[in-house]
Amino acid sequence: MVIDSQPRQALVRRVTGLARSTPGRLSLIVVVLVLASLASGWLSTWSVNRQERALEDLATRSEPLSHAAQEVYRALQDADATAASAFLSGGLEPPALRERYEADIAQAQAALSVATASSPDLTATLSAQLPVYTGLIETARTNNRQGFPVGAAYLREASGLMRTQLLPSAQELYRAETDRVAGAQDEAGFPWAPVLVALAFVIALVLTQRYLTRKTNRLLNVGLLVATGAAVLSLLWVTTVSVLVMNDVADSRKASKTVDVLAQARIATLTARGDETLTLVARGAGQAYEKSFVEVSERLEGQLDQAKRLANTEAVDQAMRHFRQWQQVHQRIRGADDAGQYNDAVALIDNPYFDSLDKDLVRAIGEARQDFSDEVAVARASLAGTVVGVLVLAVISAAGSTMGLWQRLKEYR
Amino acid sequence: MRRLALVSIMLLTACSAGPAPSEVVPRSGPAPQPAGASTVTAAPSSSASPAPSCDATASLRPGPLPPAGQMPAGSNMERILKRGRLIAGVDQNSYLMGFRNSFTGEIEGFDVDVVRQIAKAIFGDEKKVQFKVVTSAERIPMLQSGEVDLVVRTMTITCERLERVDFSSVYYQAGQRVLVRRNSGNTSVDSLKDKRVCVASGSTSLGNVINRVKTTVSVPNWTDCLVMLQQGQTDAISTDDTILAGLAAQDPYTEVVGGRFTEEPYGVGIPKGQEDLVRFVNGVLERMRSDGSWSGIYWRWLSTLGPAPAPPVARYRD
Repeated sequence: MVIDSQPRQALVRRVTGLARSTPGRLSLIVVVLVLASLASGWLSTWSVNRQERALEDLATRSEPLSHAAQEVYRALQDADATAASAFLSGGLEPPALRERYEADIAQAQAALSVATASSPDLTATLSAQLPVYTGLIETARTNNRQGFPVGAAYLREASGLMRTQLLPSAQELYRAETDRVAGAQDEAGFPWAPVLVALAFVIALVLTQRYLTRKTNRLLNVGLLVATGAAVLSLLWVTTVSVLVMNDVADSRKASKTVDVLAQARIATLTARGDETLTLVARGAGQAYEKSFVEVSERLEGQLDQAKRLANTEAVDQAMRHFRQWQQVHQRIRGADDAGQYNDAVALIDNPYFDSLDKDLVRAIGEARQDFSDEVAVARASLAGTVVGVLVLAVISAAGSTMGLWQRLKEYR
Repeated sequence: MRRLALVSIMLLTACSAGPAPSEVVPRSGPAPQPAGASTVTAAPSSSASPAPSCDATASLRPGPLPPAGQMPAGSNMERILKRGRLIAGVDQNSYLMGFRNSFTGEIEGFDVDVVRQIAKAIFGDEKKVQFKVVTSAERIPMLQSGEVDLVVRTMTITCERLERVDFSSVYYQAGQRVLVRRNSGNTSVDSLKDKRVCVASGSTSLGNVINRVKTTVSVPNWTDCLVMLQQGQTDAISTDDTILAGLAAQDPYTEVVGGRFTEEPYGVGIPKGQEDLVRFVNGVLERMRSDGSWSGIYWRWLSTLGPAPAPPVARYRD
């Protein structure tokens, strides 16, 4: 479109002409103040909206998804360890272990379908290989039931598939989902732009007041006073709420860090349990598994210490205690196995400490997730009404400045 | 007028052509393989060098067996007696030779019964054994490090191995054959020239087939080979007839074909330099040959290979 330069020059001349006379200048100020008030109000509303959306995403999407991803990993890891122990037990597998395996697979599948909805690419390997894994386990089981050692070979193949493909994919998925949580927490940060614009608007109102005082020798203009009050109130409201939200989000970060550490600890617990079992399944050829057990246990101890520093709860203390008891029993298992008392070692592996440790960790994770959810809920509650409030205040500011200046303008008629 | 309407309808339908219908594409991953499976391109260096020549199966002549529980002072047998258990390297994956009974969780088989006879001769109690499961490749390192007192695990006596460990007299005479899918058309090792064959790494079978077939795949355990055969990842398995009989017993769709194309004399592996233990084990084996327990063990495990042959005759170099 071609812009005709004639009317445009005329417009510029009219505006500059207006600015030269006092009434003209006043009219211009009205227009600028009204626009500034609406712009500042809109900007604040937009940023508060953004925070609200980020918090809603945290509460309803990111955190549940990251939990689902963590459940995929945990269930898969536990299924593999359980399948190995069922094999170790000799004879027909104990029904309790079979149930646990089936529950793990069902849980992994359910969590996987939650995660697939949001990250289909990251779950592709998991979706494709999980049925392959369960197929191998069933083949192992069928052979084992007939007393054929090839069953153990299928079990090893299944475990290899789990360790080289399924678990790394689940790990990647979990990382992606936790990154998303961190992203949403960043979104809910301090809104600098709207606060600065609101501050500039307040200063503009004060300057206008001073200008009018000089021109008219009246100390205060009621309209402008109301406008300034509304603008200051809006500024304070947005700033206070943002500081509160930031505080809550910082607390929620701590809670999600705790969940992460505890989840890692739980995965380490299950890995160590799998290693402990497979060392016995390997019957003397399991040095690699025992080495892994020692390494994973050290890592687990560090994670429990870290969890205790982040959230000193009773569940974490219990977990610590059961971890130590488990390690002691493990020493006895190794002692028995190394001394050739294989059956004693197998009997010892059926101890309550591993299960107790796992239950403690589940409880601690549940508590930390509740903390997270509470913090996000508090943050969301503090934002309630802000959008409407800020909009109403912006309209009051605009109306106040218009009315205040209108009175003065009338004096020039 | 009517033609105009027709043209406009055609134009409209041409414009409103939607995108091609979506398709669901499966993500295909690589088929699972036994952990540690790899293609072997060249025979292990040790067997590539010219094999040292020797009289491999000639062992040391046994003296009279000391009574159980009274081993000569200072002997290796006394050391084992004092420890209270014999530590034996065996297999838990070779059905019939050394395998884990999945009902009881115990390790059983021909080789395991030989171990029990040796334990019985030392302690008077065949239960005083700690089994350590070793893979084919681990047998010699475990003997060298002293982690096991002896290895009874379908171990062929060769001159090359004799440089690193000692062997008892021959307790079983096996020979290498091939296992294929029933009705596959493969009738012997010679029909596998352009096929894939699976062997366990570190076994003598590997060196025996690598130059006679197109591709050789190696895995840690013989049962891993059966997994590959069942999954269609190999055309055949080639090793000693004893091991193949155990694999065939686990899958009725397989059969052992062709004649023996190698001789595999099995011996009890013993750490280098423990002459007294070699002579003692040879004494136990002599007793097993003469009192019928060798035949009893054969009947218990290997009757599928045919009626019991005479036990292999021991040969001694002194």
